[in-house]
Amino acid sequence: MTPSRTSYWLIQHVWVFYLLAALAVGVFLFGLVIHVSVWIKGIRRQKIPFSWRGISNLFLDGVFGRRIFKGDIAAGTMHILILWGFLGLFMGTVLISVDYWLFHFLSGSVYIWYSTCLEVVGLMLMIGIVWSLIRRYLQRVPRLERCIEDFTVVILLFAVALSGFVVEGIRLAVQRPEWAKWSFAGHWVSLLFTQPQGAQSIYPYLWWVHALLSLGLVAYIPFCKLFHILAAPVSIYLENQPLQAIPVETRSPNDEVFSYRDMIFLDACTRCGRCVEVCPSTGAGEPFSPRDFIVWARNNLLMKHHPLNHITWFKDWINHRYKKEQGFEPQKIWHCTTCRACLDVCPVYVATLDSIRQARSKLVEEGTQVPPLLTQSLKNLYKYNNPWEATKKKRAQWSGDLEIPDISQSEKAEGLCYFVGCTTSMDIRAQELARSFALILKHARVPFSTLGKKEPCCGDIARRVGEDGLFEKQMEDCIELFQRYEIHDIVTSSPHCFHTFRNEYPAFQALKPPEEQVEFRVRHFTQLLRELVASGSLKFEMPLNVKVTYHDPCYLGRHNQVFDDPRDVITAIPGVQMMEMAHNRADSLCCGGGGDRIWQEDLDADVKMSEIRIREAEDTGAEILITACPLCLIMLEDARKTTGLEDSLRVMDLNEFVVMALDLHKRTGLE
Amino acid sequence: MNIVVCVRQVPEVTDAELEINKEGTEILREDLEMDINEWDNYAVEEAVRIKEAHGGKLTVITLGDEDSEDVLRTSLAMGADEAILINEEGFELSDAAGIAQGIYRAVRDLSFDLLLTGVQCSDDGWAQVGLILAEFLGLPYASLVVGIEINEGTMTVRRELESNTEEKLQIPMPAVLTIQTGINSPRYVSIMGIQKVRKIEIRETNSGELGLSEEEIGLKGSSVASQKLSLPPVGEGAEILEGSLDEICEKTAQIVRDKGVI
Repeated sequence: MTPSRTSYWLIQHVWVFYLLAALAVGVFLFGLVIHVSVWIKGIRRQKIPFSWRGISNLFLDGVFGRRIFKGDIAAGTMHILILWGFLGLFMGTVLISVDYWLFHFLSGSVYIWYSTCLEVVGLMLMIGIVWSLIRRYLQRVPRLERCIEDFTVVILLFAVALSGFVVEGIRLAVQRPEWAKWSFAGHWVSLLFTQPQGAQSIYPYLWWVHALLSLGLVAYIPFCKLFHILAAPVSIYLENQPLQAIPVETRSPNDEVFSYRDMIFLDACTRCGRCVEVCPSTGAGEPFSPRDFIVWARNNLLMKHHPLNHITWFKDWINHRYKKEQGFEPQKIWHCTTCRACLDVCPVYVATLDSIRQARSKLVEEGTQVPPLLTQSLKNLYKYNNPWEATKKKRAQWSGDLEIPDISQSEKAEGLCYFVGCTTSMDIRAQELARSFALILKHARVPFSTLGKKEPCCGDIARRVGEDGLFEKQMEDCIELFQRYEIHDIVTSSPHCFHTFRNEYPAFQALKPPEEQVEFRVRHFTQLLRELVASGSLKFEMPLNVKVTYHDPCYLGRHNQVFDDPRDVITAIPGVQMMEMAHNRADSLCCGGGGDRIWQEDLDADVKMSEIRIREAEDTGAEILITACPLCLIMLEDARKTTGLEDSLRVMDLNEFVVMALDLHKRTGLE
Repeated sequence: MNIVVCVRQVPEVTDAELEINKEGTEILREDLEMDINEWDNYAVEEAVRIKEAHGGKLTVITLGDEDSEDVLRTSLAMGADEAILINEEGFELSDAAGIAQGIYRAVRDLSFDLLLTGVQCSDDGWAQVGLILAEFLGLPYASLVVGIEINEGTMTVRRELESNTEEKLQIPMPAVLTIQTGINSPRYVSIMGIQKVRKIEIRETNSGELGLSEEEIGLKGSSVASQKLSLPPVGEGAEILEGSLDEICEKTAQIVRDKGVI
C-alpha cells in the first residue's frame, strides 16, 4: 500500500467542521478589522516603498529571530522552537489542504518525508512551549510578567500540538501501517493504545477536540499577544523606512497623536520585557517602564477607536476592562529620557521613544499636565531662545579672553562653523568644554568661527518634549542663519544638537522646494578630533599615566552609532589605560539628563540614574571619567559630588582631557 | 457664569540689565522680553478652570499698544473665548485710578458674574487697579485671593494674609477679585496652542470709542505723578571671603549665625 493519509477518517458530518472553520476565520478576520480600524486612525507619516532591506530584515528578524537571540540565547532558542514549530505545522496544514482539494501529491516517499517533518516541527513546538513555561513559572525570569494571557496562549498552543499527536497515535494504532515508524512521535503515542478497538471508538471524539482547539487558536490570535505573528513582520518591515515630517501647520486638532506606524509597533509588542530590563528610569526605581507605556497606549487606542464603540454597553465594558488594569497615568511619560535603550533591544522595533514624543506633544498642546519646572524651562526657551534664562549678551561670554571669530560680524562663513549650543554656552561647568575645544582647534590650526550672540537654540529641547511648534520655529531660525552666512560645515559640542541637525532637520527640509533646501554637513566634535588625530594635526607626545573610562552619551552612541571616534582619540594618547564600564557602547546607561529631564524637577526614584552610572565608573578603578556631552558632563559631575567620589574620580569632557594631554593651558597661557 | 479677566503685558526683568532713559521717566524697553504679568497669568488660569467647571464665557481685556495682542493670544490659547484690546498708548503715565478708569469704560457694559485681575503688575506695582475698578463698578471685592469656591450666586474666597494666616469670606456675585500667585499652577501655552487661536478676532477699541477725553488719560488724568525713576545704588556690605575651603565655610556659618538667620 502506498503511504498516504485518509483525510476525515472515521469522521461524520464533515460540514460541521467547515462551518466551525468558517466561524473561526470570521472571528479572526473581525479581530483583524479591529486592529486595522485603529491603525487607519493614525497619522499617515510615510509612504511604504518596496525595500530589499525591509525584506531581508523580515527574514533575518522574523524567521531566524536575529533580534531575539541578541543578548538572550535561551529566549532566542525557545522562541525559534515555537516559531518554526508553529510555522511548520501551519505549512503542513496548508499542504494537506492542497493535497485534499487541489491535487493529490502526498503519497509514497513524499508523504513519508511530509509526515516525518511534521513530527519534528510538532515536537519543536512542544519543547519550546514547555521551555517557555519553565522560564516564566519555574525559573521566573525577572523581566517576564505572569498575566492570564501569558498562560492561556501557550497552553492552547500546547494543547493543539498534544491533541494532534494523540489523534495521530490512535490512527496509527488502529491502522498499523508499515511506514508508521517514520511518523515517530505519533508511533510512540500509538504504543500506548494496546487495544485498537477501544482506541477506534474514542478517535472521533478526540479528533473533534483537536479540531476545536485548532480553530479556537485561529480565532484567538487577534485578541491576544499572538497577534504579533501578524503585526511584528509589518513593524520589522517598516522599521527602516524614513519618516515623513508632519509640520504643526498641517495637523488638525482631531488628529490622533500616533502615526499608524506607531500603532502597528504597539500592536507588535508581546510584553517580553527586554525594554524593562534596560530602561534607566525603571532601573533607578522610577514608576515608569516602556512596557507599561506601550500597554497603556495600546489600551487607550482600543478604547477610543474600537469599531463596536458606538454600542454603549460595549463601550462601557471595554472601558471598564482596560481602566481596571491601568497601571499608568499620562504624566508618567515625562520620565522617559529618550535614551533609546528600549528600542535597541526590542525584537520587533517598538519605537517607544517616538511614541512617547508624540504623546508628549499632545500633553504640551493641552498644557495642563506639563510638570511646573518644565513649563518654566519651555517658557524660557521661547523667551530667551535657551532654557537657561540667559540673555543674548551672555551667549558669547563663554569664550572669555579667547579670541573667537564671529561669523555674524562677517559676510559669510569661512570654513568650519562651531555650533556651541545653549548649555555649553551658558553652564559654567559645560563652558570648559567649549573653551577646551576652541583651544584645540586653534592649536591644530583649524580655521573656525561661531555664530556668537546670534546663535539660536537648535530646537532639540523643544523637540524632545513635543513642543513641535517651538522646534519648527527654532529650526527655521537656524536654517535662515545657515543660509545667510553660507554655512555648510558644522561641528557641535552637544550630541543633542548633532542629532537634531543630522536626523530631525532633513525630514522637514525634504518638504520644501529643492531651491529652498539647505545642505550642510554636521559632525560631532569627537568625530572632528578623531580626524585631527588621524591626519596628524593633533600629536600626543607627552605620556599621561592615568586610568580612564568613557561614558557613551546616548545621543552620540545609540542614536548615531558614534562609538569608536572618542575611544580612538583617548587611546591615541600614550600612557592612557582605557577601562570599559560594565555597560558600554550600545549598552551604555543614560546619565539621566536626556529627554529634557535635566530641565525638570527630580522625579520619584530610589536612586539617581547619574549616581548609578558614576558607581559603574568607580567600579572600573579609573581615575578619570571622560564623556562627550555637556548634559552628561553636568549630570555626572553632580553625581560625583553627591556620592562622595570627589577625591577619587574626576569627570572630564573629552576636550578637557585632550587639552590636558597636549598641555595646552601652559603652552597658550590661556585658561 | 461669565468671567472677565484684565491682563497686562509687562517686561520680563528677572535676568535683564535694566536701563533708564536720560530724563529718568521710563525704563528702556527695546532689549527687554515682554510677557504676560505673572499675577494675571494665574488669574487667567483660575478663570479658565472656573469656566471649565461651571460653563460660561471668558473674556480677557488689556490696555496697551498693539504688541499687547500677544498676551491676549496667550490668554485665548489658555482657554479664553473673547479678547478686547484697548489700543491706547496714552496710558503709559497714568496712575492706578487712570488705568482703572480706562478699563472701567470698556467693561461697564459687559455682562459678567466675576471680574478677575492680578493682585498687581510687576512693572508699576500699583496693586490698586482691580480695587479702584471695583469701586467704579460699584461691586464688592476681595484682594490677595488664593482660593475661590463657587456656590449658588455667591462665592467663598480665601485671602492670603500675613504670617501664613488666611481669611475665608463669603462674597456675593458679581464681584471683583484680585488674584495672588500660587492659587493654581498655570498651564503651559504651546506655539501649537497659540496657532490654534490665531483665527479668533480680537475686538479693538480706543479712548475715542470709550468716550475718554484727553484730560482723563495719562499724566493729565492722574492725581499721582511719577517724578523720577532711578536704579537702586550699588549697596555696600559685599565681602569676599578668603582662606581655605574650611575657613571660608566656618566664616560663612559665623556670618549666618551673627545675622540671626539660624
